[in-house]
Amino acid sequence: MLLKELRKHSKLAAKRHPMFEKNKFGKFYIYFMMLFWAGYLIFFGILFGFGFADGFPTMEPYHIMNKGLFIILALDFLLRFAFQKTPTQEIKPYLLLPVKKNKLLNFLLLKSAADTYNAFWLFMIVPFAFITTLKFFGITGVITYCLGFYLLMILNNYWYLMCRTLINEKTYFVLIPIIFYGLLLAAEVTLDNVVSAFTMNLGEMFIESKLIGFLGVLIVILGLGWINRIIMLKNLYAELAKTEDTKVKHVSEYKFLERYGEVGEYFRLELKLLFRNKRSKSMFRMGCFLIIMLTAMLFTPSYEGPFGKSFVGIYNFAILGILMLTQVMSFEGNYLDGLMSRKESIYNLLRAKYYFYSFAVLVPFILMIPAMVMGKISFLMAVSYSFFTTGFIYFIVLQLAVYNNKTTPLNESLTGRQSTGTGFQSLISFMAFGIPMMATNLLRVAVGETISLWILLTIGLILTFTSNLWIMNIYKRFMKRRYKNMEGFRDTK
Amino acid sequence: MATITVNNLQKNFGEKRAVDIDNYVINSGEILGLVGNNGAGKTTFFRLIVDLLKADNGSALINDIDSSKSEEWKNITGAFIDEGFLIDYLTPEEYFYFIGKMYGLKKEEVDERLTTFERFMNGEVVGQKKFIRNFSAGNKQKIGIISAMIHHPQLLILDEPFNFLDPSSQSIIKHILKDFNEQTGATILISSHNLNHTTDICPRIALLENGKIIRDIDNTDNTAEKELEDYFNVD
Repeated sequence: MLLKELRKHSKLAAKRHPMFEKNKFGKFYIYFMMLFWAGYLIFFGILFGFGFADGFPTMEPYHIMNKGLFIILALDFLLRFAFQKTPTQEIKPYLLLPVKKNKLLNFLLLKSAADTYNAFWLFMIVPFAFITTLKFFGITGVITYCLGFYLLMILNNYWYLMCRTLINEKTYFVLIPIIFYGLLLAAEVTLDNVVSAFTMNLGEMFIESKLIGFLGVLIVILGLGWINRIIMLKNLYAELAKTEDTKVKHVSEYKFLERYGEVGEYFRLELKLLFRNKRSKSMFRMGCFLIIMLTAMLFTPSYEGPFGKSFVGIYNFAILGILMLTQVMSFEGNYLDGLMSRKESIYNLLRAKYYFYSFAVLVPFILMIPAMVMGKISFLMAVSYSFFTTGFIYFIVLQLAVYNNKTTPLNESLTGRQSTGTGFQSLISFMAFGIPMMATNLLRVAVGETISLWILLTIGLILTFTSNLWIMNIYKRFMKRRYKNMEGFRDTK
Repeated sequence: MATITVNNLQKNFGEKRAVDIDNYVINSGEILGLVGNNGAGKTTFFRLIVDLLKADNGSALINDIDSSKSEEWKNITGAFIDEGFLIDYLTPEEYFYFIGKMYGLKKEEVDERLTTFERFMNGEVVGQKKFIRNFSAGNKQKIGIISAMIHHPQLLILDEPFNFLDPSSQSIIKHILKDFNEQTGATILISSHNLNHTTDICPRIALLENGKIIRDIDNTDNTAEKELEDYFNVD
C-alpha cells in the first residue's frame, strides 16, 4: 500500500517536473541510445553464441560465458558509474507521518533493484541462452539462466550502490572496489582459476534450475541491501540535520586571489563551490580519479597504438572540464537571483570558470611528464591537446552556460529531487567527447600525426587567446535568455 | 537618489494576472510599504523592478533607466527577496566581503559598515565559523538584509524583512531602516504582512489586490493602520 503510494508520488514527481516537457530532445536521445545499445548487445549475444562454439570446441559456449561472468560483472560495475545515478526520493514530506523510516528506505532500495538498467544485459543473454542452452535444457533452462543472470545484475546493482554512496562520502572508499577486484584477479591468477571455475559452476546451477544457486545469490542481495540501508539511514539523518559542517575548523581564504579583482573573487568562489559542496566535490574527485586512471592506462600495452594514445591523451586533458563544465550555471542556479542583481557578474563568473579549468589542465600535463620522458607520448602531443582542450573543447562546453536552466542541488544526494541532465547537456557532452576524438584521428590519417597536432595546436591557441571575446558572446546570449533560464532555475530548485 | 517609475506594468502567470499597475511613481527618498494578501503580487512586483522576471507589458524605470534594458541600475540598488539570493556555502563574512567587492568596497570598509549592524547581528552572525546554510532562518534573513544594505544603495528593496526575526531584531531593523533613509536619503521599498511595523516606518503605503494597487495611502500622520485593519478585517 505505502510502496504503491510512494511509487505513484515518485512517478508524479518525474512527470510534473518543470523540465519534463521541455526535455523532449533528451528523451529522444535517451531512447535512441537505448535502442542502439540494445541492438549492440543482441549482436554480441548471437556472436558469442556461435563464436564460442567455434572457438572452444571442447566446451559448451555457456561454460565459456559463465567463466567470464566475473568480467561482465566488473564491466557492468564500471559502466554504472557513467550511466546510473544513486536513487533519490523526497523523503521529508513523509517523515512526520506514521510511516517507518526503514520502509521509506526499503522503497528506495526496491526502486533501485527495479531500475531498468539491471535488465539491460538481458538483451545479450537471452539470445545467447536460446542459441546455447535450449537444445540441452529446454525453455526452462533458458528462463532460469536468464533469471539467474538478472539476479546477478541486481546483486551488482547493490554492490555498486554501496560503493558509490561510500565514495561520494569519502574518496578513499574507492579502495574498496579496487581491493576487491584486485583480490579476485589475484585469486584467479594464482589459485588455478578459482574465480572463473566458481562462476562457471554458478551459471550451470542457474541453467539446471538448482535452487542452491539462486538462494546463494538472493542471500548476498539481501546482505548488500541491508548494508545499503544502514549506510542510507546514516546519510539520511546527516542530510536532514545538515550536521556535517555546522562548525568549520578551517575556513580557506585563498587570499592570493584578492589582487585579481572581480575575476579573482569569482575564481575564489569557484574553489569554494567545488570544495564545500558534496555534489560538486564528488564530481571533481571523480574527474581527478579518471585523470589518474587515464594516465595509468598510458603505461599499459593496450594503449600503445596511435588511436589508443590519442584517446587517452585527449580525454586525459578534457575529462575534468567536460565533467564539470557541462554543469555550468546549474550549481549557480541555487543563488542566481543574487548574482543577477549585480552588474556583469555572470561575465566575470564565466571568465573565472574558464581560467580555473584552463589551469586545471596543468594537472594531467604534469602527471603525463613521466609518459613523455618514457616516449609514450610526445611533448608536442601534450601541448597540442592541452591547448585544444582550453581552446576548442571549452569553447563548445561553455556554450551550455546559455542553455542550462536546471538547478543542480549542491548537497542533497538521498533526500533531494530527482535530477537528470537536460537533452542539450547530453548533446554538448556527446559533441565534446566525440568531436576531438574524430578530429584527431581523421586529421592524423589525412595529414599525418605531426601536422595534425600542429593544426590542433593552432586551433587551440586561437580560441584560447580569444577566449575573452567568445565568453563575452556567451554572456550576451545568456542575458538574452535570462528570463527563461532564471525561471527554469527557480522552478527546479 | 533613486526614483522608480512604473508604466503600465503587467505580468501574467497563465490565466492569472499577477501584476497590473498602470502608472505609479515612487519618489526619491521615500519609504514605501507594500501590503496585500497572499498572492496579491507583492513579490512579483519586486522581481519585475529588479529584472528577475520578464514583464508581459510595460516597464519599471529606476532613475529613468528601464531595468530590463540596461544593467546600470544595479550599481545603485540593493535587494533581498528570498534565500535564493544567498550563496550558502560561504560564511557570512565571506559573503559580505564578496558582495562588497562587487561594489568596489575593500574588506576594511565592509568591516566598518558591519559595525552599524552589530546590535542587529546580536553576536550570532559573524565569527561563527559556520557556512550560511547552517544558520537559522532568522539569521539567514539578517545576512540577506545586511548584504542588501552593505554598499549603501540608493534604492533598497526588501521582501518581508520582518519574517523569521525575533521581536527585538524586528524592532532593531525598523530603526536601522529609518536611520538609513534619513542619513543617505535612499528610497526604500518593503513588503510585509505586519501592519504595525509597516505603518511604523512607512510614510506611504500601497495596498495591492490581485496585482493592482487599489489604494495609495498617505501615512505621514500614522493614520493608515486603522484603514488597513479595516481592509484586512483585523479585530
